[in-house]
Amino acid sequence: MLTYVIRRLLVAIPTICLLVVASFLMMHVAPGGPFTSERPLPPEVLANINAQYGLDQPLWKQLWDYFYNIVVHFDFGPSFVQKDRSVNDIIAQGFPISLTYGALSFLAATAVGVGLGIAAAIRHNSWVDYLAVSLGIAAQALPNFIMGPILILTFTLWLGLLPGGGWNGGQWQYLIMPVIALSTSYMGSIARITRSSMLEVLNSNFIRTARAKGLSNSAIVWRHAMKPTLLPVISYLGPVFVYVLTGSVFVDLYFSTGGLGQSYVSSALTRDYAVLLGVTILYGALTVIVNLLTDLAYAWFDPKIRY
Amino acid sequence: MFGKSEKAAELAADITDFKAVRGRSLLRDAMARFVRNKAAMASVVVLALIVAFVIIGPHFAVWDNEEIDWARMGDILAQGAPSIETGHFFGLDELGRDLYARTIQATQTSLLVGLIGAAMALLVGTAWGVIAGFYGGRLDSIMMRIVDILLAIPLTLILILILVVAGRNFVTLFIALGAVSWLTMARIVRGQTLTLKTREFIEAARAGGVSESAIIFRHILPNLIGVVIVYASLLVPEMILAESFISFLGLGISEPMTSLGRLIAEGAGTMGYGTLWQLLFPLFFYVTIIITMFFIGDGLRDALDPKDR
Repeated sequence: MLTYVIRRLLVAIPTICLLVVASFLMMHVAPGGPFTSERPLPPEVLANINAQYGLDQPLWKQLWDYFYNIVVHFDFGPSFVQKDRSVNDIIAQGFPISLTYGALSFLAATAVGVGLGIAAAIRHNSWVDYLAVSLGIAAQALPNFIMGPILILTFTLWLGLLPGGGWNGGQWQYLIMPVIALSTSYMGSIARITRSSMLEVLNSNFIRTARAKGLSNSAIVWRHAMKPTLLPVISYLGPVFVYVLTGSVFVDLYFSTGGLGQSYVSSALTRDYAVLLGVTILYGALTVIVNLLTDLAYAWFDPKIRY
Repeated sequence: MFGKSEKAAELAADITDFKAVRGRSLLRDAMARFVRNKAAMASVVVLALIVAFVIIGPHFAVWDNEEIDWARMGDILAQGAPSIETGHFFGLDELGRDLYARTIQATQTSLLVGLIGAAMALLVGTAWGVIAGFYGGRLDSIMMRIVDILLAIPLTLILILILVVAGRNFVTLFIALGAVSWLTMARIVRGQTLTLKTREFIEAARAGGVSESAIIFRHILPNLIGVVIVYASLLVPEMILAESFISFLGLGISEPMTSLGRLIAEGAGTMGYGTLWQLLFPLFFYVTIIITMFFIGDGLRDALDPKDR
């Protein structure tokens, strides 16, 4: 197991490095930049600005400095567009918010999805099953950017129950809609995966043996069927985490929660490459880490897997 | 003595009928299974209706999708509602453009994006996976390591990055969607190729002196079709979703072209003024397409992959 962890880490670290280099180069091949505007700056001014941000250095030097500062100081450099703010500031301000409702959505999608899926599988071909399956399919067709408007329409404009946006230190009223919007479609997929996996497990030989020796239904489901059921679900959690991260871009924009997504899109539109780069690298690194964790959880859940 | 009996004649006809019984091919079997799947067949019908609407619909449009109805643009809430009299069957958008024409154009875009994105993933992913799986060894591990690394990056962010760096137009969008969507396809195809290439019939082909390229094209690819079709059909809604997400953020196709995600974003922006039709028409087409594609994909999987039941 330990060797497996080490081997996975050995893959994960180069992955992150490659991500840094690739995104950095991509940004720098792009024509235009944050300082190209409709009224071109005088060349002397532009030269000054470029010197200020180190853009006059050769590319390999820029890349090396960037890389070095991230690894040694965990410093993503200054923002090109927002004066006096560093990328670290922007991340430190937005990331906790994104992380809060992101984690809540992740948990909600998993808990509700697994619950629905199991209920459907246990009461296979009953009204519970049909209801859960229809809910799951409907939920899958409603990604975050569809759920957002629908939720605002219902809860803010018609019922007037919840505030239409803002963060306000993460009070629960402000959290409900972002979390629902973000988790719905993954809840649907998780419910469908759980249901089909549970059905397969309940039809397997070892469950028949458990029934034959007279175990109660709840003991069968919880003690025997649960672990193998959750295996495919766990392998799906890594992708779900990625979706939650990217989905948060929309949630921030639509509910004005002030998370990182807002900075990401605005920096994409103003070509603030420093912020764009910093956030991409942060999210990429997080994804690599979460994928690692899901693989480890998988190994822990499935004793048949040997490394 | 031997009178003519109808039964005997029938039996004789039966016995002397030397026509070979046509075996049921795998594909026909799958076809039959798919046709029996009610949800999938209903979805095919609904999707066909939408495609027909998108093709025929423009002939009934009174207004162009770029044309602004100056007479009514001042008071869209009162005069811009869907009506047959004014020729705005789906109402007006917030700038006074005909939503009927715009919805049709957006649906065309979304369907195209889904198909082309999935087709690109299919081509690149299959080629990559077959080469890696068939030739194996060091080439395989390098190619798959690349896939692993790319898979570890949130692809929607990369999509945004590509669109920002390379500019926003149709071609970039298709290339970008194709560039981020082939990874899982490559993995699946490689896995299948690995199991296929150890099978007896490949060995037989080798023993018979068939060249490597012929083995790939004549023996491996046809056997991959089932898996590839199933996965590609599941990719179509994913591509539509991704494009809509990007367009919703305002980073996708630029005006006057539009896509369903963009229309939904505009409708969502104005729903506070009571012009709900601006949200509901695009939303209806969008949700219908996605749901039918899910059902068709599921139906294809059940039909082509009999193990998975």
